[in-house]
Amino acid sequence: MELALAILITVVGASTPILIAALGELVVEKAGVLNLGVEGMMLIGAIAGFVVQFHTGNPYLALLCGAAAGTAASLIFGFLTLSLSANQTATGLALTIFGTGFSALAGSSYSARPVTLMQPLFPAEFYGNPIGRVIFGYSFPVYFSFVMVVAIWYFLHKTRAGLILRAVGENDQSAHSIGYSVIGVRYLAVMFGGAMAGIAGACFPLLLTPQWAERMTAGRGWIAVALVVFASWKPFRLLGGAYLFGLVMTTELYAKAGGGPLSAVPSELWAALPYIATVVVLVLISLRRDASTNAPACLGKPFLPAN
Amino acid sequence: MQFRLEKRREPSKAMIYITPVVAVVLTMIVGAVIFSLIGYDGIGAVREIFLTPLTNSYKWQDLGIKAAPLIIIGVGLSIAYRANVWNIGAEGQYVIGGLAGTGIALLTYGMTGWWILPLMVLAGMLGGMAYAAIPALLRTRLNVNEILTSLMLTYASVQLIYYLIRAPWKDPMGMGFPQTRLFSEAARLPTIIPGTIVHLGVPIAVLVGIVAWFIMTRSVFGYRMRVVGAAPHAARYGGFSENKTIWLAMLVSGGLAGLAGVLEVAGPFQRMVPGFPTNYGFTAIIVAFLGRLNPLGVIVAGIVLAITFVGGEVAQTTIGLPNAATGIFQAMMLFFLLAGDILIKYRLRRVLPQPSVGAA
Repeated sequence: MELALAILITVVGASTPILIAALGELVVEKAGVLNLGVEGMMLIGAIAGFVVQFHTGNPYLALLCGAAAGTAASLIFGFLTLSLSANQTATGLALTIFGTGFSALAGSSYSARPVTLMQPLFPAEFYGNPIGRVIFGYSFPVYFSFVMVVAIWYFLHKTRAGLILRAVGENDQSAHSIGYSVIGVRYLAVMFGGAMAGIAGACFPLLLTPQWAERMTAGRGWIAVALVVFASWKPFRLLGGAYLFGLVMTTELYAKAGGGPLSAVPSELWAALPYIATVVVLVLISLRRDASTNAPACLGKPFLPAN
Repeated sequence: MQFRLEKRREPSKAMIYITPVVAVVLTMIVGAVIFSLIGYDGIGAVREIFLTPLTNSYKWQDLGIKAAPLIIIGVGLSIAYRANVWNIGAEGQYVIGGLAGTGIALLTYGMTGWWILPLMVLAGMLGGMAYAAIPALLRTRLNVNEILTSLMLTYASVQLIYYLIRAPWKDPMGMGFPQTRLFSEAARLPTIIPGTIVHLGVPIAVLVGIVAWFIMTRSVFGYRMRVVGAAPHAARYGGFSENKTIWLAMLVSGGLAGLAGVLEVAGPFQRMVPGFPTNYGFTAIIVAFLGRLNPLGVIVAGIVLAITFVGGEVAQTTIGLPNAATGIFQAMMLFFLLAGDILIKYRLRRVLPQPSVGAA
């Protein structure tokens, strides 16, 4: 029981940053933009969050600064791809390379310095027993991620603004001719994606390992990008996908630590498992008939008004 | 005074070659300003990173051996990107190439013979090709995005190194260090200039660039790659199968990344170590773009990026600049280059303030 509880809590912790980053990327892609810089924006959010937490000890301020840093990074991408119509694939890669270098530079004097982990959102009375622990025992980002799943679904499918955003992603020329600012909508989407990636990055020092380590997001940003495809651009499927990956990563931790039949498998295979699982999942998803039909029609294409 | 972008009638040839140079110069200027603002010696950083490796002849051999893998991988990527095939897992193919070469070196340990090195090189190229074949197969058969698969396989390949050098390939005399034994003499890449560290991989890299340039400009293969990338509809109409192009692009770029891997392990490393993946596969992406996806341009771009690597190490010791600064300079170069791309299709036109008609 105690072990099951511990596993569940680890799964939630591992899934939350991927879910938050993937939700941001989902909105970006729904607007017709493919930002492959999620990993870079996450690293920038992670170092910003770490530095603020280290100096102020205020995790909410740390998350906020992570979001701001991620947004700032996303504006580099936005300016190049939206204002200058640069190649989105190449610019996204450049942003990831930049984020890796920037975070390593900013964090070079902070290695091996601990911060305090973010405390659970609810007061301790709520989670004295196991059931309370499962429901009330998490810190703010976990609840934030759940709320955002619903909020983004509602925004995209039930609001006028969401409809405009989807129109921009499905048919930019029509949206432009009706009078909507395609570039403006895409800028907002890209900035939202940056903020979410920044928060997701800040979750690493605040929730998972309370210190700064170079490349500490370890490819999770890329897994988030893959998850958006896996989820066919649907927020609730994203929730399922993120928790599936959280489970895979947690298996790695417990297989390494615990004895039993699992520890007979080389630990390196467990470490490679999330990445192999991503490939397998992408293959499985491609076998489904509606696999690519759900992709926004303008995804990755620069917008140039016809007239 | 206002400027406005105006579409050119046809893409500017001059801008294709001017913008990479401008990107490098702007990186130096903006880099100096930014690093000064955040409290480093900005001008010193630019001097050490961009100029010292060139002016200090003792550093030239370092430049050569750093540029070689970047050029070899960059040439392969430039061919793939021309065809709009986004192989970004060159780092993984480089790793598998290095591992395949290591496998041969360990199998032939203690043996002598001229055939060992060529066999290693062959194994390395086949290893890189085989690893690139996975995304190619998934893309052509199942339409799975090659960006994500090739990248995920890179992360997995690094774990494969860790496993092999921890368990089956571990050096029995290594005092517990996770690494293979030092390759025997016949499995090490010879140096070509006595008294330096310049190995055979350096001339091979230049040769790869020149041969690739001939193939891309003078052969049907090159024509296919360029047409499929630039005008996919026309290519289909002209009878070039898209799937075959994807296969060719992935195998060529994977094979060259594998070649770079085996040359690295047989040259500078001479054994497999945990630090073997040195991000050449990712930096080569910048090299390919900075070289304008042209093999000859890639040779120049490979040298430029090698300068920043060598210079970054210099700046670390002379002015205490963290090594990560190199990555920032490299990314900035790519940012400026991508921003400058717009000048190929558009021109800046000064707009004279016009009296607005409606205002009166």
